[in-house]
Amino acid sequence: MEQVVENKKSGFDKYKIKKLIITLLPLLALILLFVAYIVILNINDYNVMMNLKTLLNQSLILVLVATGAIFIFTLGQFDISLGANALFSAVVGTLAYKATGSIALLFIVCIAVAVACSLLNALIASVFHLPMFVTTIAMLSVLTALATFLIQSKGSASGTSYSITLPAELVDKLAPLDTVAFKIVLLIVFMALMVFIFNFTKIGRKQKFLGGNERCAKLTGISISLFGIIAFALAGLGVGLGSSMTVVYAHTVSTTTASSIGMSVFIAIVFGGMPINGGARSRIYSALIGGFSYNIMTNILFILFQSMQGVRDGLVQVISGVFFLVIVFVASINYRSKNLPR
Amino acid sequence: MKISKFTKGVAAIALVGASIALAACGGAKQTVKVGVLVADASGEEALGFKNYLQRYVAKEYNYEFVYSPAIASAEQAKSQAETFIGQNCKAIIDMADKNRGDLAKLCNDSKVYFAIGSGMMSDGDFAASKKLDYFVGQIGPDMQTEYETGLAMGKYYKEVKNVDNIGVYGAFIPNPMHLYRMAGLLTGLDDTYKGQSGQNIVFTVFGDDAQFDAANIAGDVEIDYCAGFDGEGAIFGTVGGIIAKGPDAFLSVGMTTTFFADMLDEAHVEYSDIDSFTTQNGNHMKTGSLKYLSGKYSSSLGPIFAAIKSAIDGKAIRNNGEAFSLSQGYWTAKSSAEFEKFQSADSVNNPIFNKTLLDTLVGASFDTFKAAVELDRTPQ
Repeated sequence: MEQVVENKKSGFDKYKIKKLIITLLPLLALILLFVAYIVILNINDYNVMMNLKTLLNQSLILVLVATGAIFIFTLGQFDISLGANALFSAVVGTLAYKATGSIALLFIVCIAVAVACSLLNALIASVFHLPMFVTTIAMLSVLTALATFLIQSKGSASGTSYSITLPAELVDKLAPLDTVAFKIVLLIVFMALMVFIFNFTKIGRKQKFLGGNERCAKLTGISISLFGIIAFALAGLGVGLGSSMTVVYAHTVSTTTASSIGMSVFIAIVFGGMPINGGARSRIYSALIGGFSYNIMTNILFILFQSMQGVRDGLVQVISGVFFLVIVFVASINYRSKNLPR
Repeated sequence: MKISKFTKGVAAIALVGASIALAACGGAKQTVKVGVLVADASGEEALGFKNYLQRYVAKEYNYEFVYSPAIASAEQAKSQAETFIGQNCKAIIDMADKNRGDLAKLCNDSKVYFAIGSGMMSDGDFAASKKLDYFVGQIGPDMQTEYETGLAMGKYYKEVKNVDNIGVYGAFIPNPMHLYRMAGLLTGLDDTYKGQSGQNIVFTVFGDDAQFDAANIAGDVEIDYCAGFDGEGAIFGTVGGIIAKGPDAFLSVGMTTTFFADMLDEAHVEYSDIDSFTTQNGNHMKTGSLKYLSGKYSSSLGPIFAAIKSAIDGKAIRNNGEAFSLSQGYWTAKSSAEFEKFQSADSVNNPIFNKTLLDTLVGASFDTFKAAVELDRTPQ
């Protein structure tokens, strides 16, 4: 108490400065990684613009899906079926696009299917009073099986798997959307919408409250079911956009499409400074920062260990894991503060 | 002096950043860089190719072959191809087989040469891509060769080994390559599929929406069939069940040496496969139950390298101005001694497609190149 009074007297609020720095740490880490990446690209005489374009392509779908998913993570929930949802919605969207040639329908179907699947998660959990984690595990199996059935019955064998590939004329129609400009605009518009909902409406505030202290939030009249449904609907929007852009980028869907999304989403938002338990310290921009940080870090590691190809892939995984633990540790310093979040 | 956990955290991040920047120094090499896309770098065939490229060709020609991580999907393949392009790779060899038509176009737009080193593009994709200036071509066993390889295996086990009941692994049917091998195998065993034999089996399966149903197999040789790989254990149970019935042999159209060799060796069930001549397969043949292997040899990738080098050197090998599509046969070993003879004829230090031979192919005419690729090089 004496220390606090002393700090206030000297105009030095140690807590606020510490909080500010910890809040900015993910952004600082992204900037540091980005600078290191550019330096490494230049030292190796690599094509910087091409690498940045690749980075955008690697990160866009992850950021779209993860940003939507933050609404779920804020509630302290976890959706393991995000990748399967992205796969299933991409398959249905691709079939709709193949049948009609309409780009609008590709996006509408992908988003509608993803939102519907996501809402089904919330509905099942709500009706049967099941933990959300359990529901999403079940959905993971169901959606993967449905997608596999559709791909096998409507697609063709390619390599060691089946796939549905778009014909050349439909690929050409998608070309204007597979550009850096379109992707950046899409990212900005989507992020602006999500930031607005999360930071400037009751939805975000109430979700943080629910994630921080569910019982207390309930006693103040906040509906857990309603805000759970809203969270899953917004997550579905992110998944739908992500799956649409997967089709735009890859022009084909197979049973392995979006296979790594589920785990990457979790890693990305933690890299971006999101508390693993959700609540008041949740940040909507965590996915944006974390998605890019994670991919930059992976790209750097692959460049650094390129000459050690026998062990490279394993080494990159191990180092990524250590980074992940370091970040969780640094972030947790903030959570272990004796002060309540403000 | 007391250092807070917070300060330690910041210092850790700064240290990592500094390490990254320092470690990056001295990375650039003045070699010609080629990216290699692989679905699985740990498979026997893939390892053989990798050793040949990285331990022989790279040294002889001052080339660097950069391998991708395991490619699982089309979007990963495209992203990795973009990464190779961004890393100034002059060419990309694709062995992952994920939407090759798209990759050929991407490379062409980026003025990076693209070649297929394993498996063949579908006829439709090849026709759509062959006019691309930066698409070098593809070399691999064509479907006729695949069929004949399966046929020879079937005939050998029917006529020489006199098998009555066997296990059969269909690998990734309806993958066309595996399906053609299976059509040959069934025909060689004098069995039929829906009353059909020969390559009609392939057309029948594709006429049924590419659904292969083992219940349609009929003939004197009884077959216990399985296919696919779930990676989760169920397939091991299925193969284990077939082994438990004590078949005369377990015949495979691919991937058995990768997935099931240890199980079959342990159970002393004779098996065959179509794979490649690698040390591991040699061990299975010498001490295990692998008794028949048709395979590619590691340096069979040499001609595709020669074609890439020709293109990079400005002496591209074209078939009437278009990318080429050439067939290369398999070798078949029926004993450990034969396997060792083949293996010693094509090792990393002394490959069939050695520098002397490759030098004659770089910048050669298409006819010379075609003749060299299609020449039967089976060691006598």
